[in-house]
Amino acid sequence: MQVKYINPFLRASVNLFKDYLDLQVESGKPFLLKDPQALYEVSGIIGLAGETRGAVVLSFGRETAIRIVSRLAKQEYLALGNEVLDGVGELINIIAGNAKQDLLEFRIEISLPGVITGKNYKIHWPEGVPVVCIPFSCEFGDFSVNVSLKDIA
Amino acid sequence: MKILVVDDSAVMRRIHRNILKERGIDDGDILDAADGQAALEIASRNAIGLFLVDWNMPRLNGLDFVQRIRAIASYAKTPIIMITSEAARYNVVEAIQAGVTNYVVKPIKGEALLDKIGRYLNA
Repeated sequence: MQVKYINPFLRASVNLFKDYLDLQVESGKPFLLKDPQALYEVSGIIGLAGETRGAVVLSFGRETAIRIVSRLAKQEYLALGNEVLDGVGELINIIAGNAKQDLLEFRIEISLPGVITGKNYKIHWPEGVPVVCIPFSCEFGDFSVNVSLKDIA
Repeated sequence: MKILVVDDSAVMRRIHRNILKERGIDDGDILDAADGQAALEIASRNAIGLFLVDWNMPRLNGLDFVQRIRAIASYAKTPIIMITSEAARYNVVEAIQAGVTNYVVKPIKGEALLDKIGRYLNA
């Protein structure tokens, strides 16, 4: 997977968390996720289809998810309830939708978001396509945006 | 004027409702729906003066909703603002062709959104 496919997701994430949610977010160097199941406890997932295929997963620890969605909704949530899960889905929806404007090589359709919680779930990543993890840290904890996108030959 | 917020995210519906209320819109004049199909049903029972519509939704998505609502004579010219994360140029073109009045890419802060929709609220 080419680096140029990662940057749109990095830019979209920084725009969302830093510029829109006013969080002091630091992004680390993207790396190849050796264990594609090594994610945090709460993950929002969007599938990418159309002229390429892939998936994007936004993954948080439980407390980080609650606090970031509280910031998004301007309402304090105390537990990982339906609205927090809904908010996680909306966050990954924004990242995937925004990234499309910089992915000019192909037309992409994004799926409706899904959200998974727990400690032993398995993501069905596109077969044979590596997963690149972009790590982030902020005052609410660490999180990651994970991208798997098939190259166009 | 009644405003219909159409978004499958409960959080986004809450955010939009709060922005409209801060602008002085009465809570009772803000209706909401979680998908395009539900929005069609609400629009058939109420005279909606402004639609705020997401794109990606289950059952009936925003684009199909716009095409369906535009086919109803009484809604042929009602302002429809699409508020979506879909930021690709081809999405904007498709939405305009379907009949949206204005296109707004999420995330957008409350004051910026009100700048975009203010003229329709004052109409």
